[in-house]
Amino acid sequence: MTTATLTQLNALTGGLFLLCTFGIVAMRQVLGILKMFILQSIFLSISAFLLGYIHMSIHLFAVAALTLMVKPLLIPYLLKRMVGNEVTARREISQLVDIPSSLLIAVLLTILSYFIANHLLSNTTPIISKVNLPIGLACLLLGAYTIIVRQEAVAQTIGILTMENGAFFAGVSIAPDLPLIAEVAAAFDVLIIAIVMGLLARKIYEKVGITTVGEMNHLREVEKL
Amino acid sequence: MTNKIIFNIIQVIVVMSLSPLVKGVNDRMKEWIQSRKGPSILQPYRDIYKLFHKDEVVSEHCSWIFRITPYLVFITPIFVTLLIPVLTDYPLFFAFMGDMLGGGFILALGGFFATLAAVDTGNPYGPIGASRTRMVGFLAEPVFMIVFFTVSFVAGSTIPYIVQKAWVTPLSNFFEPSHILVMLAFIMLIIAETGRIPVDNPSGHFELAMIDESKGLEYSGRGAALMKWGGCMKFFVLLCIFLNVLVTPWGLASENNIGAVLLAVPLVLIKILAFVIVLVIIESSLAKLRLFRITEFLGAAFITSVAAMIMYFF
Amino acid sequence: MILIYILIIPIIASLLTVLPLGKRWPEGVSIISSLLVFLLSIKTAISASDGSVITAINGWISCDGLSALLLLLIGFVSLVSSIFSWGYMEKHLSQRQWRKKRRYYYRLALFVFSMLCVPVFSQIALVWVAVELTTLFSVFLVSFENTTDALEAAWKYVVLTCMGAALALIGILILYWGMRAVSSEPFTWTGLIHSSDTIAPSLLKTAFLFILVGFGTKVGLVPLHTWLPDAHSQAPSPVCVLLSGIETTTVLYVILRLIPVLGSSPSINAGNWFIAAGLVSVAVAAFLLIQVRDYKRLFAFSTVEHMGIIMVAAGIGTASARMGATYQILAHSITKSLCFFAAGALFIIAETREIGSVRGLIRTSPLTGASLLIGGLAIAGAPPFAVFLSEFSILKAGIEAGRYIPISLLLIFIITAFCAVMFHINSMVFGRPSNSKVTVQLPPSIILSLVIAVVPVLLFGIYVPVKLEHLLINAASVLGR
Repeated sequence: MTTATLTQLNALTGGLFLLCTFGIVAMRQVLGILKMFILQSIFLSISAFLLGYIHMSIHLFAVAALTLMVKPLLIPYLLKRMVGNEVTARREISQLVDIPSSLLIAVLLTILSYFIANHLLSNTTPIISKVNLPIGLACLLLGAYTIIVRQEAVAQTIGILTMENGAFFAGVSIAPDLPLIAEVAAAFDVLIIAIVMGLLARKIYEKVGITTVGEMNHLREVEKL
Repeated sequence: MTNKIIFNIIQVIVVMSLSPLVKGVNDRMKEWIQSRKGPSILQPYRDIYKLFHKDEVVSEHCSWIFRITPYLVFITPIFVTLLIPVLTDYPLFFAFMGDMLGGGFILALGGFFATLAAVDTGNPYGPIGASRTRMVGFLAEPVFMIVFFTVSFVAGSTIPYIVQKAWVTPLSNFFEPSHILVMLAFIMLIIAETGRIPVDNPSGHFELAMIDESKGLEYSGRGAALMKWGGCMKFFVLLCIFLNVLVTPWGLASENNIGAVLLAVPLVLIKILAFVIVLVIIESSLAKLRLFRITEFLGAAFITSVAAMIMYFF
Repeated sequence: MILIYILIIPIIASLLTVLPLGKRWPEGVSIISSLLVFLLSIKTAISASDGSVITAINGWISCDGLSALLLLLIGFVSLVSSIFSWGYMEKHLSQRQWRKKRRYYYRLALFVFSMLCVPVFSQIALVWVAVELTTLFSVFLVSFENTTDALEAAWKYVVLTCMGAALALIGILILYWGMRAVSSEPFTWTGLIHSSDTIAPSLLKTAFLFILVGFGTKVGLVPLHTWLPDAHSQAPSPVCVLLSGIETTTVLYVILRLIPVLGSSPSINAGNWFIAAGLVSVAVAAFLLIQVRDYKRLFAFSTVEHMGIIMVAAGIGTASARMGATYQILAHSITKSLCFFAAGALFIIAETREIGSVRGLIRTSPLTGASLLIGGLAIAGAPPFAVFLSEFSILKAGIEAGRYIPISLLLIFIITAFCAVMFHINSMVFGRPSNSKVTVQLPPSIILSLVIAVVPVLLFGIYVPVKLEHLLINAASVLGR
C-alpha cells in the first residue's frame, strides 16, 4: 500500500475516533459510553498501527499492541468486574446539560481545538500530524467536558480515560519515537487509573449507596442552607 | 439532443415504475427479518392500482390545498428526477434547471403542501402529524445544509454530476474521513426524512404515535394512491442521490447510447436493493425513539456532518 | 548509585510491610526506611550543594541542586510523617485492624517512592508518569478513614488531578514534538534547555500553558484548587503532611523546571503568566482563609496561598527572587508539616475539625497549643520564622525588579492571609476551655514528631547552615539560565 492510501486510512480512523468521542458525550447509558470508549480505543490502536507502518517504527507497533490489550479489553473487563453490573448498566439521569446542548458545545470545542492545532501546525509538518493533533486535542477537551457534565462515577472515569486516549492519539503522530519505556509506563499508568477509580467507585457505592458522585457536595466552606 | 430527452424520460419512467418495487422489497425484508412471511414484493403496485379504482371522498370543509396536494406530492419527485443522475453519469436534457439545492427545495415543496393539507381537513390527527413532521424537518434542515455545503466545497460545485466524481477520483478519496462522515450523516437524514425507525414507524397503526403517516389519513381513492406513489418515489429519489452522488457513483451509463442506459437500470436497482438491506437491518436492530429524543438523533447527525466539514476544512 | 538506593528503599519497604511479622513490624519498617532515605538524601544534598550534578544512569536518573533540595524535603517530611503515623494508627485503629494498618504503610511507602521519583527522573515523559503515580498511590490514603466525606474528597482528588495530568501529558508531547523538530538530544531537562532557543515559540508557549494548567491543578492553583482543601483536610494527618507539605511542591517543581526552558522570550512572556496565576491563587486563598470553619482546611488553603507566592517569585525571575522562591519551598515544607502535625494532635485531643468548638488549647494541652501557635505564626509569616524571611526576600526582590503593582497586591494578600490565620489560631489556642474534658495523653511518637518538626521551623528563620545555603543558591541557579 502506498503512503498516500495509508495516510487516507489514518485520516478515516481519525474521523471515526472523533465520532466515538462525540458518542461518549452523547450516550445516555453508562454501558453505551463504555462501548464507545472501547471502539475509540480500537481506533486509537489502528491509528498507531497505521502510523507505525508508515514510519516503520517498532515503537508504534508496540504502542498499538499495548493499547489493544489494555484499553478495549482489560479496562472494560476490570471496570465491570470492580464496579459491578448494576452500576454499569445504569441510566444516566442526572446530567448537568442535556444532550443536544452537550453536542453543540462538543462541536464548539472541536472547532476550538482545530484552531489551537492550526496555530501550532506549520506548513512543513507532515500531513499525518495535521490529522491526529487536532483530533487528539478535541478528544482531550471533550473528555474534560464529559467529566464536568456527567455525574456518574463510571462515566467520569471513562472521561479521564478518554482524555488520555486523546493525548495518546495526538502523541502517536507528534511524538512517534518517545522512549518505549515511557510509553509502557504510560499504558500501565492508564491501567492503574482505571483500577484505582473503579475501586474507589465501588467503595463509594458500598459506603454511600450512590455512584452519582457529582451529587456529593458536602465539603465546602459555607454551610448549605 | 433527442437522445438526452429520451433518456430523461426513461429516467422518469424508471423512477415511477420501480419505486413501489423498492418499497415492496423493503417491507418484505423487514417482515422476513422478524421471522414472518410478509406481503408479496408487488403489494405496493396492487395497493396503488386498487386505490385508483376507488371512490374519492373529500371533506366539504377543506380547501383547494387539500385537493392539489396529492398532485404536488406526486409531481415533485418527478421534477427532481429530471435533475439528478439516476441512470447516467452525464447531465441530461433538463439537468441544467437546478442543482442539488434546487432538488432539495422541490422535495421540500411537496412536504410543505402535505403538511398544509394535513392541517386543512380539521382531522385532529393531521395537525399532530404535521407539527411533528415540521419538528423533524427543521431539525433535519441544518444537517441537509451542512452536508450539501461540505459536498459542494469538496467538488467546487453543487451540480450533482460534478459532485459524484469528486469523491472517487482518485479512489483513495473514497476513504476521506469527511466523505465517510457525510455518508453517515446522510444515512441518518434519510432515516429521518422518510420516517423510518428509530425516528418514526412507517408500519405503525396507532395515530397518536404517528409522525409521517397521519398526514395522509384523510385521503382516499385517487388522492391516497398519488400520495402513496409520491412517497415511494421520494424515497427512491433520495436513495438515488445518496447512492449515485455520494457513495457509489459506479454502474451508471457513461456512453450516450440507449444500450448503456438500459444496462444501467438493473445495476442501479441492485445498488438500491443492497442499500435497502442495510436500511432494514438498521431499522430492525433499533427501537423507535421517543418523540423528544428525535432531537438527539438529529443532533447526532448534525454533529457528524459538522465534523465532516471541520475535517475537510482544516 | 546513591539515587538508586533512594528509589529502591521505599519499594523494598512497601514489600516488607505486607509481610505479617509482628505487631510493630510495619511501623518499624516504615520509620527505618524513611530514616535511611532521609540520611541518603542528606548525603545527596551535601554532594549537590557545591553545584555538581549527581548522575546515576546517564540521561535517565540524575540530580542537581533543585532536585536535591526536593529530595531532602521529601526525606525529612516522610520521616517525621512515618513517626507520627505510629501514634496516629495507635489512636485510630484497634488491634484487630492490623490488615488495614499494613495496607496503610504499604501505600505510604509507595506514595513516598512516587514522590522521590519526580525530582530524580530526568526523562520528562517519565516525570509525568511519576507525577501521575503520586496521585494514584495517594488516593486510598486520602480515603483511608472511609467516611462519606473522605470518599468524596478522594474522588474529587483523583478526578481533577488525573484530568490535569492528561492536559499536562499533551503539553509534554508538544514539547517533545517541538524539540524533535530542531535537535536530536535526549528528552531530558538539560537536553530541553540546550535546544530551547531553537524550538518554535508557538509550540513552546502552547506546551507551557497546557503544563501550567495541567500540573497547576495538582499544585492547587486557583481556579483548579477545588479538590485541594477537601483532600488535604479529609486525609489522615500524617498523609496531609505529605500531601500539603511536599506533594504540591514536588509537582510545582516540574512547572518551575520550565522557567529556564521558556527563557526570556518576549513572545512567550512566561513571567507574567506565572505572576498572574500566582497572584490569583494568593488572593482567592487569602479571602477563603477568612471564612474557613475547619482548621485542617485552614492549613490547606494556606498551602494554596504559599504555592501562589512561589509562583509569583518564580515569575519575577531575578536572581534574588529565585533565591526567595527556593527558600520559600524549603520554609513552606517544614512549616506546613509542623502545622499539620499540630492539627493532627489537636484532632486526637478534640475529636473535631471545627475551629469554633476548640478553645483554650494552651490550657488543655500545652504542647499541642504551643506547637499550633508556633506553626500558625510561622506559616502566616511572623518575623522570627523561615516563612517570614522567604516572603520578605521575595517582596524585596520584586521591588528591586520594579514590579510594584504585583508586589503591592501580593503584600496586601499576604497581610490578609496573616490576619485570617492568626484570627483562627488565636481563637483556638487562647480563651477559656469550653468544657473541662480530661486531658488526653498524646502518644510519645506524636510528641516526638512534633518536637522534630518544630526544630527546623525555629532554626531556619535565624540560622541557615552553610551547606544548606549553598544548596539553596544552587537550586536557585537551576531555575535561571
